[in-house]
Amino acid sequence: MQDLLGTSLSDERFPEILAAFDDVLAEIRKLRSLDLKDVHPAVIFEPTAPYRAEGEK
Amino acid sequence: MKTDRELDPWAAPIEHLAPALRDRRFSPVALTEACLERIGASDGTLQSFVHVADSALAQARDAEREIAAGNWRGALHGVPIGVKDNYLTEDMPTTAGTRAPGISFGFYDSAAVERLRKAGAVLIGKTRTHEFAWGTVTPPARNPWDTNRIPGGSSGGSAAAVAGGLCSAALGSDTGGSIRIPASLCGVVGLKPTFGRVSRYGIVPHTWSLDHAGPLCRTVTDAALLLNVLAGYDARDPACQDRPVPDYTKALGLPIEGMRIGVCRNHFFDRNEPAVDSAVERALSDLSAAGARVHEFEIPNLQYGLAAIFAVELASSAAYHDASVAAGRQAHFEPDVRALVEIGRLVTAADYLKAEQLRAVLCEDFRRAFEHADVIVGPTEPLTAWKSGEWTVEVGGKPESVLAASWRLTFPYNLTGLPAISVPCGFDHRGLPIGLQIAGRPFDEMTVLRVAHAFERGHPWGGQIATNRSP
Repeated sequence: MQDLLGTSLSDERFPEILAAFDDVLAEIRKLRSLDLKDVHPAVIFEPTAPYRAEGEK
Repeated sequence: MKTDRELDPWAAPIEHLAPALRDRRFSPVALTEACLERIGASDGTLQSFVHVADSALAQARDAEREIAAGNWRGALHGVPIGVKDNYLTEDMPTTAGTRAPGISFGFYDSAAVERLRKAGAVLIGKTRTHEFAWGTVTPPARNPWDTNRIPGGSSGGSAAAVAGGLCSAALGSDTGGSIRIPASLCGVVGLKPTFGRVSRYGIVPHTWSLDHAGPLCRTVTDAALLLNVLAGYDARDPACQDRPVPDYTKALGLPIEGMRIGVCRNHFFDRNEPAVDSAVERALSDLSAAGARVHEFEIPNLQYGLAAIFAVELASSAAYHDASVAAGRQAHFEPDVRALVEIGRLVTAADYLKAEQLRAVLCEDFRRAFEHADVIVGPTEPLTAWKSGEWTVEVGGKPESVLAASWRLTFPYNLTGLPAISVPCGFDHRGLPIGLQIAGRPFDEMTVLRVAHAFERGHPWGGQIATNRSP
């Protein structure tokens, strides 16, 4: 499981973190219940960002 | 509020200091010396500073010389200002609150620090942050109103230093409430400007899409003076927006008669300490008495906000600290921060993007609310400062973690990027400060400051210095 998640936590530590995640997961389950398929996420890709003038402040 | 002639310089807000420094009635050197003396006398208990600048008096002497030569740079010239320890500085070390080995930060000025230096401020030292700005306690800093209690966080050192009269103002950062929470708990003014208003270049990242930079001050006018210096475009921060910067002091002193005060009755009033609800209701009555029209409504979808802020913060924090975790350095983090950083790997990509979808929904929900309101007013915190060492609090009869309780009313304005300020609005029965939160439309800090200033003028809390009331 740790490998799948890309975490290097030990076998002893991993269950502690899973338990600590319980309260957060309860909240995230509420979010999962929403149907938001028609909503564009607030993340917007902006390809012009690297072209902002050098040193422009 | 006392006039500058009646105040010790260290106790005066910047709005009083600035003309006195300009006219040479106050000396930047004497002012800085007074702050350094207070740090020496009080900070063994408050622990609000992690580093005091060796150059503080030299900076003050430079300011005094320039002012004497007729080169007054503006309201912050010669004013001692603290810098939260997650802003990089070229002449002071930055730790971001961590003692973990193998983690270090560069010696160069963050954008906000560059602007303060250009304005002639005396950068008096680095103020304590909760480790990596990931918490609302800031151990071992103490609240100057009761040194058995926490100052809030993550900008707890900045709030304690300003409230305790150790510096005139301080920089903070706010990812889920980290400027406004300590401002509320320490009885000072804390302003989180609109996302993109103030550059975050050179601030140790917590969560790229939620981090905001802003000031903690003694008065609303001081917040406007700081924002005048801090606001502006910076291409080095990808989120910074190239928009005109008004003179924010022009918002101050205007009447609020006829303005529409929105009150969101769900979420923000669901579960608060009775003293907090009472103080906020009195504030709403006062705003109404000043001629504002109070309009109540509900904003949908806020019940999903906690999931969204957790998903975005945890995932972002995990990404930022990925190399540290791979190297095992997080084992040296404080236990609360270590757990939060490690948990981040458990947030799935789909949950993260769903959280970003919810943010878009909330932005639209708030836009609709602002069709009927010029500002939205409510409590900053559901409770007052809790005792050091407590990690669970009971609010409204329900036990919850201090993190969940303390950012409940502030994180909606991080998810939506809206400007929000916390101003003192009274005390509970223990003499602990309560904060009033005023939020506005994107880039409408003028209206937020206008209402905050109108409220502050009618009450005695503007410019207050903390008095330790611990038993």
